[in-house]
Amino acid sequence: MIVEALIAFTFAAALVTFVAPNKVAGKLAFGLSLVPILGSLFMWSQFDATGNALLGGSLAFEESFAWLTLAGYELSWHTGVDGISMPLVVLTTVLTSLAIVSAWTPIDSRQSQFYGLFLFMEANLLGVFTALDFFMWFVFWEAVLIPMYLLVGVWGGPRRKYAAIKFFVYTNIASLVMFIGFMALVFGLGDSITSLGLPEIAQALRAGELGGFGALDADTLRLVAFVAMFVGFGVKVPIVPLHTWLPDAHVEAPTPASVMLAGVLLKMGTYALLRFNFTMLPETATALAIPIAAIAALSVIYGAMLALAQQDLKRIVAYSSVSSMGYVILGLIAYTVYGVGGATFQMIAHGLISGLMFMAVGVIYNTTHTRMVGDMSGMADRMPITTGIFIAGAFGYMGLPLMAGFAGEFFIFVGSFGSQALPYAPVFTSIAMFGIVIVAGYLLLAMQRTLFGSFRLETDYEVGRAPRHDTLALATLLVLVIALGVAPDTFFSMITDAVTPILETGGGL
Amino acid sequence: MAAFDYAPAIVLLPFLSFLVSVGVAVSGRDLLPKGGALPGIAATAGSFLLSVWMFLTVSGGQYYDETIYTWAAVEGSFELTFGLLIDPLSAMMLVIVTLIATLVHVFSLGYMNDDGQTGLPRYYAGLGLFTASMLGFVVADNLLMAFMFFELVGLCSYLLIGFWFREAGPPSAAKKAFLVTRFGDYFFLIGVVAVFATFGTSQFAGAEAFPVLAEEVLLGEASANTFGFAPQTWFTIVGLLVLGGVVGKSAQFPLHTWLPDAMEGPTPVSALIHAATMVAAGVYLVARMYGFYALTPTTLAIIAFIGGFTALFAATMGVVKREIKQVLAYSTISQYGYMMLALGSGGYIAATFHLMTHAFFKALLFLGAGSVIIAMHHNEDMWDMGNLKEKMPVTYATFLAGSLALAGIFPFSGFWSKDEVLYEALVHGLGGLGGGEAEGALLLGAWAMGLLAVFFTGFYTFRMVFLTFHGESRSDTARNPHGVGWNVKGPLAVLGVLAVVAGFVNMVPVAKLTGAEIEFLHKWLEHGPAGLTSEHYTELTHEFAHYTAGTLAGGELGTALISGGVSLALALAGVGLAHVLYNVPEPTEHTDKLGGIKTLLYNNYYQDEYQVWLATGLTLPVSRAADKFDQGVVDGVVNGVSSVSLFSGSRVKQLQTGVVSNYAMLLTLGLTVLLVVFGLLGGWF
Repeated sequence: MIVEALIAFTFAAALVTFVAPNKVAGKLAFGLSLVPILGSLFMWSQFDATGNALLGGSLAFEESFAWLTLAGYELSWHTGVDGISMPLVVLTTVLTSLAIVSAWTPIDSRQSQFYGLFLFMEANLLGVFTALDFFMWFVFWEAVLIPMYLLVGVWGGPRRKYAAIKFFVYTNIASLVMFIGFMALVFGLGDSITSLGLPEIAQALRAGELGGFGALDADTLRLVAFVAMFVGFGVKVPIVPLHTWLPDAHVEAPTPASVMLAGVLLKMGTYALLRFNFTMLPETATALAIPIAAIAALSVIYGAMLALAQQDLKRIVAYSSVSSMGYVILGLIAYTVYGVGGATFQMIAHGLISGLMFMAVGVIYNTTHTRMVGDMSGMADRMPITTGIFIAGAFGYMGLPLMAGFAGEFFIFVGSFGSQALPYAPVFTSIAMFGIVIVAGYLLLAMQRTLFGSFRLETDYEVGRAPRHDTLALATLLVLVIALGVAPDTFFSMITDAVTPILETGGGL
Repeated sequence: MAAFDYAPAIVLLPFLSFLVSVGVAVSGRDLLPKGGALPGIAATAGSFLLSVWMFLTVSGGQYYDETIYTWAAVEGSFELTFGLLIDPLSAMMLVIVTLIATLVHVFSLGYMNDDGQTGLPRYYAGLGLFTASMLGFVVADNLLMAFMFFELVGLCSYLLIGFWFREAGPPSAAKKAFLVTRFGDYFFLIGVVAVFATFGTSQFAGAEAFPVLAEEVLLGEASANTFGFAPQTWFTIVGLLVLGGVVGKSAQFPLHTWLPDAMEGPTPVSALIHAATMVAAGVYLVARMYGFYALTPTTLAIIAFIGGFTALFAATMGVVKREIKQVLAYSTISQYGYMMLALGSGGYIAATFHLMTHAFFKALLFLGAGSVIIAMHHNEDMWDMGNLKEKMPVTYATFLAGSLALAGIFPFSGFWSKDEVLYEALVHGLGGLGGGEAEGALLLGAWAMGLLAVFFTGFYTFRMVFLTFHGESRSDTARNPHGVGWNVKGPLAVLGVLAVVAGFVNMVPVAKLTGAEIEFLHKWLEHGPAGLTSEHYTELTHEFAHYTAGTLAGGELGTALISGGVSLALALAGVGLAHVLYNVPEPTEHTDKLGGIKTLLYNNYYQDEYQVWLATGLTLPVSRAADKFDQGVVDGVVNGVSSVSLFSGSRVKQLQTGVVSNYAMLLTLGLTVLLVVFGLLGGWF
């Protein structure tokens, strides 16, 4: 019941915060959000799952109640955690609390609503990562959009309405496309399934029980469904060329929303790709290996090139997320334990590092009220500790060894280079790896221009050190990034345990 | 095995000093005297003592190769681990690195702890991490761990070169250093990944080490995934990929451009970077995995050629520089070229030897230059100096010793090592040519360039000495230099002695002449764990790269004497020319007579220009074009589609002026419609 308790508590916390006075909402939300952290850490300490949640593994904290029957399909409340979802649950709870702290300084209106939505979003995210029934998963999946939409649309920057609408419409249409694709599979499976349980569907699909649907034979149906789901989830990731909502949303979003957007919401896309496309339809995925790897490499290089052209610190980090997510796709299509495991690890690593970077940019912005590279220089002089953490975070982003990003990227590279599932694997891998040079280029350039040199900033504000709570939040993230880089096995061993069953009928180890 | 239990402490002690200094820096208070120099000195001195202990233990015939930490493990696939490998090569390197790091820490007391210098804890934190990273790299027992510490060394160079971040130059130089070496490391990382994909391990030592596996594959005793290439071809590709990192870090052509800029960093940092850590890391890596390189003649020939070319190329640029540290920077590039030349020529011992002597005399020269720069109130232009020998006798005497070593004058240390490098290149070039191998010609070409560079080395070194210390004082500061203390003179004296005597450990020509067994370094590197000995490497180069020794006249001895004599004569000619031109009371810029050539040399053959162009003239505009394309075309399509098909233009406007509750309603509505539509489609109702 712990998963249910966690989700229920977070919903309740959201409600309490929503009606609390504005003055105390921030602290209250933070205090309440510590409970899910403790809950997720407790779960982690008691974690005893083996195997993959969808492929008959033994799950941790599994609960299942029949709910209602709809047109012959049993809908149920079904939750459970395996080695893939456990780290994502921890990431969600930790990052939510830290993002709430980072909101204390910049959010100065309608605080109770802001923090209430924040916790509401957390509850739904926890649902997304633990749900094992398609129907409830889809409800959580869609429900995450609403708070994020409002966070951007209400507390965002000058063009917040455009950005929020674009985010919402884009991702909602994507959900529609994905939904069509998935339902087509469900109908194609016909009588071989009796519920919308994801494990049942995944196992039926892998057992080859898919029949035709309408005019489509099984193979075509698989292909169409795969592409529809790939596009639908790809928007969320985002993959090139479906990424253009992301920079707009990030630039307009308030810092804490950016932290969650980059840190957790993008991982919904990669998580869903792994659970649906790559777990349920491995043959189709490997048949499409070359175009998928090309998209991955394109995302890495093109995203990095776009980051290089930006002047707004937030846009730089936003585009670099596109680049980093490209690595994840590359790892997934490799169908090796290091590749898929590394991709999952990279979700966590990138969640922490991009959260750290967005938060650091936000802390600087709180002081300078500008994020444009040309508007300031020499910030290291005035904000030495923030700058220090910024530099460390940037090197984390560049994949400095002994930080989490390197571990994720190296696992992916070493997994994809020798992949049997992907033709020309060394070529695709080598091309994507060039991202590590470009990322160093744009981050070092931005740091040189904003952090170093003599101090210069036209402002009426006092430019001094960041508030202590901001520094502590940043430092916490940095410590986590380093800890995970030094000891990746804390998550990686459970991840690989859950990933291995996926590979058995895929491209092999 | 007790000694080896303490081996991790060699790395951890400087890391501890890093943590202490970071703590002090974060506190923002002056918690430690001398800005935190003392923990650093204590830590590196401790590491030095432990290293000496390791050295003595290794000399007793004990070696250590243990995995101490599993970084990531996967059932059914390879493990990624950290481990320590302490053999004669790494033990020797440990002593060199810790000794120089300790001296640099002591020297920093005199150089950095001036009144009003801020950020000292940050400086000592950087030095500590730098030393720890380099030591971690030296003891690494596998290629992945080596790569990881290699990258950390790069980070530290970034932090230290950019130490004076309030000025414009250092941050730019720091960025360049990291970026250029990162470009090399890109290839290195592909190489690491390829080694894992090919062999499933990246261990350097043991029966399952990747060089051993590669050898077995070539002999047909084992198989590996060579990605459709012939094994020899694939190993050449992998070797060249790893070499990318070496070329970047060891500042070889064409990735040498970061190093002269790196002079923006504090001078003690330059000493550490150039003598014992970052730049040495590249060459050390080739030596570390020499069992792999020795299998592929093409790679060896390329290494030798890059080395020979870089040695000459950099030496010519050193001839025209005005600033004392610039001359030393180019000499560093040039000297590492010699080490690469040796490695490519099968001269594993010669390269290691030169790595050692160079570490001592180059650290000495940088610290000597630092002493001069203190005296000159941080003016580095040699044309403002002159006659400093009267005012700073200790600095002069030690600097002269270092210069004689650098120029390769008998009997200073550099003479012996450089001589052996050129000898190895010559005999293997002759042997290859005699055996009809194409690589032989390449080796001889590389040798010729290396030999020619000897003349330039002698010239630029003594041009520097004469301009700095001889003649008449050419500025007020040179007439009244700032004094330097014991913490400057002490390290200079230690290194001065080493620069004179370090060559005596391996006087090969004397040994050949007299028959006395005094090639101690040969003896040292001949023992070691199986597969990591110089004898094994010789066998490999002979068997797989077909390296054989050829001679000129008089057999081995005659060739050795001719080779040594010629290079000494060239060095003396260079020194002599410098003496004639610059050892006068009022020297003039004779290099002006070179005209356009001087401009070319002064601008480093416009190497920087094309690389800067690649970055800012090509990559940046392409990225801007990509951005324009992204905003206009990719995003334009999205916006176009949405405004045409979803809402009419005016509706969108209405939507965008709406209030939040409207959106919320719209959202709920959208979700409901979606579900209803699918409910209907699926026949749920």
